[in-house]
Amino acid sequence: MNEIFTRIFAIFWKDMLIEIRSKEFVFSVLVFAILELVIFSFAFSIRANMADMAASGILWVALTFGGVIGFNRIFAVEKENARLEGLMLCPVDRSIIYWGKLAGSFIFMLAVAVVVTPIFLILFNLPLLLPRLALIIVLAIIGFAAVGTLFSAVAINTRARDIMLPILFLPIIVPVIVAAVKATAPVLAGKAWGDILTWLQIIIAFDIIYLVVATLVFEFVIEE
Amino acid sequence: MSNKRALRDNALLGLGLVLMVAALYMVFVYVPTEKNMGIVQRIFYFHVPIAWVSLLSFFITFIFSILYLWKREMKWDSVACASAEIGVVFTTLVLITGPIWAKPVWGIWWTWDARLSTSLVLWLIYVAYLLIRSFATEPARGARYGAVIGIVGFIDVPLVFLAVNLWRTQHPTTIVFEGGVTVPMLLTLIVCIVAFTTLYIILLVQSANLKIMDADIKHLKGMIQAE
Amino acid sequence: MDNIGYLFAAYTVIWAVVFGYALMMQKKQRQLQRKIKLLQDSLDKSKTNS
Repeated sequence: MNEIFTRIFAIFWKDMLIEIRSKEFVFSVLVFAILELVIFSFAFSIRANMADMAASGILWVALTFGGVIGFNRIFAVEKENARLEGLMLCPVDRSIIYWGKLAGSFIFMLAVAVVVTPIFLILFNLPLLLPRLALIIVLAIIGFAAVGTLFSAVAINTRARDIMLPILFLPIIVPVIVAAVKATAPVLAGKAWGDILTWLQIIIAFDIIYLVVATLVFEFVIEE
Repeated sequence: MSNKRALRDNALLGLGLVLMVAALYMVFVYVPTEKNMGIVQRIFYFHVPIAWVSLLSFFITFIFSILYLWKREMKWDSVACASAEIGVVFTTLVLITGPIWAKPVWGIWWTWDARLSTSLVLWLIYVAYLLIRSFATEPARGARYGAVIGIVGFIDVPLVFLAVNLWRTQHPTTIVFEGGVTVPMLLTLIVCIVAFTTLYIILLVQSANLKIMDADIKHLKGMIQAE
Repeated sequence: MDNIGYLFAAYTVIWAVVFGYALMMQKKQRQLQRKIKLLQDSLDKSKTNS
């Protein structure tokens, strides 16, 4: 069991080292997400005390599309350096590669969320200390990363790679988006746990299903 | 061998024709007009079976995708792909006939209720299936990636339905038959479902055979060029 | 009888699309038959050559 974790961590850490050296990419995704917030605010003539559902939707659109842009890169690095073949030569279970990459995607999305969310809260004059929002974001991001990592591996070997990832990813991830937006709105309004708990449980259930299915199916994607 | 197959195909075609004519009769002659919605309601008798068949076809794609990843025989992939194509065609029909029915009856083209929304997402998922196959760099890869999406996509469908359903029960709306469902209506519906399922099978057999032939021809071509 | 236009539209679309799909399959079949003929010809040619 320890060995598995070590291997997953190795893949994850290798990616981290690479990404840290190319800070421009993470930075550009952040700028993009913030731009989205701004454009939406102008497009919908948003006032500070807008309905929470709309604000919640805007946050999640920004996070979703920021994620879509980022996921394209997860396997792009491997392809560019033909390292995937090298990775495959190691006698590891294919799903370990998936989990290693998954950890990287998760951290990436988390980084984006950590920067974008406070800016969002400030722009909309919402309270800054919202631990429940943090919980929702972390859980939803797990779902995003689970699906995004899998489809990144698929899209990378396709001709229209940049457009194929969103086309694959977005319809599948609709349940998580719906649940996340519905859970976030009462949190922004400062309401009690009630509904929020239901939606949180739904996100967790979806995450588990996505993770299990993706783990099972990943080996078929990268076999060559 | 091919005579038996021709016989079977013709029998299937004949059955399909008979069922379709029966369905048309029931829809336009037999069943009385529904009280509240008037004559437009008859769209329902084709709209629902088409929706059912589209779900069936994606289920078939799911099963045969698994079969293909397991056995790796091209013919399983051909069936999966053919079924997905037909599924997209039928889902497109659902998305077109639904609004045509809704506009005169409820005054709106579209509503984000669970069934319509899931149909739309379904359409998007399986269009992605077809796109990934056409954008793949080699057919074998296309088959493999398609199979993955055929599996993930189908598992996702109940999730989408659940999420949207829960979302919408907070705004209850939609499509109930206020006049109640009578026996003639049910009978007509059942005949139409059987008729459209038969149509699906006919289309599936044709399309899958074409794809298998196509794969065989490519294979033969490769062998000949090798000499 | 007032909304019969919509009824007609719906059924027309259904038949048009199903027919269109069947037509596409027919086109594909002809294409495949042409390919078979080409293969047959090249096979015959290689036979007469060897």
